[in-house]
Amino acid sequence: MSSLSLALRLTPYLARSSGSSLRETALRDAGLPILAFGTVTALLLTVAGGSQVFWSWTDGIAGTYQALAVVAMVLLIIPLLTLGASAARLAARRRDDRLASLRLLGANSATVVWMTVIESTALAAVGAVAGAGLYACAAPFLGLIQFRGQAIGGHAWLSVPSILGCVLAVCVLAAASAALGLRKVVVTPLGVRTRQTADGAHWVRGLIAAVVVVTGVVAMGMLSSFGAFIVIIAVMGGCFGLALLALNLMGPWILRLRASSQLKRAKGPEQLLAARTVLESPKESWRQVGGVAMTSFVGVFVGVGMAVADTMGGSAGDETALLVRDINTGVMITLLGSFLMVACSAGVNQAAAVLDRASTLVALDRVGMPRKLMVAARVKAVMSPLFLVAGISAAAAALLVLPLTGAVLLTQPVVFLTIGGVFAAGFLLVRLAVAAGTAQIGQVLARPERYASMDS
Amino acid sequence: MNAILHAQQLTKHYPGSIALDHVDFTANAGESIAIIGPSGSGKTTLLHCLAGILRADAGSITLSTPSAPLRLDSLGDAALSRLRREEFGFVFQQGMLLPELTAVENVALALMLNGTDRPTSESRAAEWLAALGLAGMEQRRLGELSGGQVQRVAIARAQVTGARVVFADEPTGALDSATSAEVLDVLLHSVAANGRTLLVVTHDPNVAARCQRVVELRDGRIVADSGSTVASPVQAAHATTNFKGAFNV
Repeated sequence: MSSLSLALRLTPYLARSSGSSLRETALRDAGLPILAFGTVTALLLTVAGGSQVFWSWTDGIAGTYQALAVVAMVLLIIPLLTLGASAARLAARRRDDRLASLRLLGANSATVVWMTVIESTALAAVGAVAGAGLYACAAPFLGLIQFRGQAIGGHAWLSVPSILGCVLAVCVLAAASAALGLRKVVVTPLGVRTRQTADGAHWVRGLIAAVVVVTGVVAMGMLSSFGAFIVIIAVMGGCFGLALLALNLMGPWILRLRASSQLKRAKGPEQLLAARTVLESPKESWRQVGGVAMTSFVGVFVGVGMAVADTMGGSAGDETALLVRDINTGVMITLLGSFLMVACSAGVNQAAAVLDRASTLVALDRVGMPRKLMVAARVKAVMSPLFLVAGISAAAAALLVLPLTGAVLLTQPVVFLTIGGVFAAGFLLVRLAVAAGTAQIGQVLARPERYASMDS
Repeated sequence: MNAILHAQQLTKHYPGSIALDHVDFTANAGESIAIIGPSGSGKTTLLHCLAGILRADAGSITLSTPSAPLRLDSLGDAALSRLRREEFGFVFQQGMLLPELTAVENVALALMLNGTDRPTSESRAAEWLAALGLAGMEQRRLGELSGGQVQRVAIARAQVTGARVVFADEPTGALDSATSAEVLDVLLHSVAANGRTLLVVTHDPNVAARCQRVVELRDGRIVADSGSTVASPVQAAHATTNFKGAFNV
């Protein structure tokens, strides 16, 4: 029997649960990934539906709206894809103990990988369908949003094939992420543990990111020379998208640099553990804070959008006044979507992080480390790099928009206020997620036997 | 000999079974005690209760301290945590070390948790590692060490704080026979040289044979206790030679 067919037969068997406590556990374990996949799908559909409205217009000013729609889509879709990958990873890790038991019974690695992929995809499918349902419920309300003085109404509705395509895309993303995520863990008969080799976060990442951002700044400065409007939009969207990808590339390297410096200066156990936690996996640490970095990036655009609206609003004709109002509406929707993404991302990543480190937590508890010290180390590992990554992201975004807006617009008080507000809200969301993770630490320590064998 | 750890009428239930059934047990200072028995006999549960990792349903556990006897069963979680890091050391089958830390950091962490500053902690940790044959490996991560070396790190961590009682749960269970013998040598000699009490849960008759006293559990009850014997003069001399020079014991 092939590994795939064996996995297909075993997965539903192991997914069964009996007894209320097991049902509760299954619900709790599966709930977060499903919620995350649902949010990703609902937001993706909303963004796609909203953009569809702009692309249906053909008059003179439609191009401006389409350009803004491309910016909003790029700003939201890349973080959403990152969130989708995190959700898939959490879905894969939550069944570690069962996978280890299967290995003990003689299942080979391929069967275990297939089972993880099947389970993650199934959770993604449930979440994606729920997300599509959420989109369907929200669409009538989204239709009330006004652009160009009229409610967008049914124009925000996507066709059924488009919705199915989006659901399928989320499932494919989950399957691919689960398969890739399993490369990071070793499923042995004695348990599941993270590979012993620390993640690389080479300086080349920083170099590539710097080159991408500088190229983006130059390209943005030459935007008007690209001629055709569609090319300008493509270049602009490409620049923003590449800059976000560059941030994702550079982030782990920056965190590694900072943690190396903190390790040298660490005096107490919580500083030592916090620095080592980041150094163990800078990429994992980046996932904890990457959502705020992305939102800070978006925050600059939102601030600039508001500044543009302010500037134009003073002497606006009818059409300009509508554009100003629409820019404000657009940036608010983008910001709201971005924060939904951060909240979801923070929750998912914290849950995954606590599960990943469960055996470490049990080990620390056994040697007598007070729980408040464990929590302090965890808070420090996550919150400490937030300022840095949020600042770098905002700076990268400011560099990119500078050629478009000029320094005067970029230094308007409204820009700083918006960025400050975005920082504060992002920090709060991540801190709340860390607090939720703290509660999860209690659950891990209440069932240490489940995690003790996952140690090295 | 002076009793250091004394359990009376210790009882612990799991759903559908009784793990400890009114167990009376005393460990004397400086003894090495093997706790043996078939799977499910309650030996690990006894170890975990004595170490303050698990709470018994009934009975009492008393630790002798220089000031006054301390009842573990009346302590809260925070006080038990403190007791585990100040009075006890642990060596488990899986090491229970932190994979993200280096060898020296794993050992030093135990001292840092007790408030010792990092340079002193790392210096003392390095001395322990060197004494246990890991000189030059201080900066290696656990993934870069063999199973036997990882257990030596665990042995160093268990004793670096001056813990008076060392608990070991199948410390050689995951090792081949040659490495197992080496690790057991290191554990027994270092414990003896420092006058510590060792409680080791094991399935391995070779491990039990090397301890001064063997306690056998079956169905949650102690069914045999060899009583304490004095370590052989050869063993004691060997231990002293190996460890006394390295530590102020």
